[in-house]
Amino acid sequence: MLQQIIALIIIAFFLARLFWQNQKKQITAVEFIFWLFFWVASAIAIISLKWVDRVVANFGFTASGINVLLYLSVAVLFFLVFRLRLKLNRIQQDITKIVRHIALKK
Amino acid sequence: MKIFCVTPAFNEANNIVAVINSVKPMVDEVVVVDDCSSDNTYSLAKQQNITVLKHIVNLGQGAALKTGTEYAIKEFADIIIHFDADGQFFAKDIETVIYPLVNNKADIVFGSRFINKQDNVGMPITKKYLLMPLAKLVNKLLFNINLADPQSGFRAMTRFSAIKINWQQDQMAHCSEILYQAVKRDLRIKEVPISVIYHNFGQKFSNGIKILVDLFLAKLIK
Repeated sequence: MLQQIIALIIIAFFLARLFWQNQKKQITAVEFIFWLFFWVASAIAIISLKWVDRVVANFGFTASGINVLLYLSVAVLFFLVFRLRLKLNRIQQDITKIVRHIALKK
Repeated sequence: MKIFCVTPAFNEANNIVAVINSVKPMVDEVVVVDDCSSDNTYSLAKQQNITVLKHIVNLGQGAALKTGTEYAIKEFADIIIHFDADGQFFAKDIETVIYPLVNNKADIVFGSRFINKQDNVGMPITKKYLLMPLAKLVNKLLFNINLADPQSGFRAMTRFSAIKINWQQDQMAHCSEILYQAVKRDLRIKEVPISVIYHNFGQKFSNGIKILVDLFLAKLIK
């Protein structure tokens, strides 16, 4: 129970920060919706852990709901890191174009 | 026929003057692309009365070669040679490499260190018997390319081929990408024997892994 409260406080902190960033126009509308969905979904999953346990058991997993959430979050993190890597590669390609343009201009 | 030699250079102050002077008599124009060296490679190259282009950020050998090649295309080069600045290649081999192009027998020519056994005598054993066969296998499996030298940095191409081959790899994966694009665009490919002196190990196994990762990511970005 205590762990759930701590987790919810942390999520509330990130949600507050998200709204503040949105108000200050530091993030785009798409980013705001994505992270809002992410944190609300996380809060719902934590509040209904017992239900998640039952769903996980119905799927035939022996691990508890919180473990499955943890595995899923690691998978999501891998995906996000991979997307970041692709984005960095695109930025690198743009930098290359600029540097080449400057080199050839002389 | 205008022949350009493109030499990418990064911190090659010890070799650049000798390389330029050895190559200069063999071609019409030498283009050195300084890839943001921290030593005086740029000023030394500039003193040799040749074209020197400068990257303001270090991008990698593939990017430097592309910059030099784009310059050569712009200056109406008929044949473009890629020649390393580390002094491992011999300028005398330029004649052999451009011969099939001059005689219209090929569109792109790769210098191979493996056609004649005596040409790779100084090659480190792990490179010769582990890395190169592995790179050859990757080329065969992923790109269906079967050349004796899977990672040759000494190549020459016609202007037409240089325009057709639009490689995007900034780092060392450009070797595989150029090979792959040459095959994909149905260019006439030829391998000719060249000699190499080894001053250092060159590509390590970890670089090989990086090349594979770069090629994989490039596929996803497209």
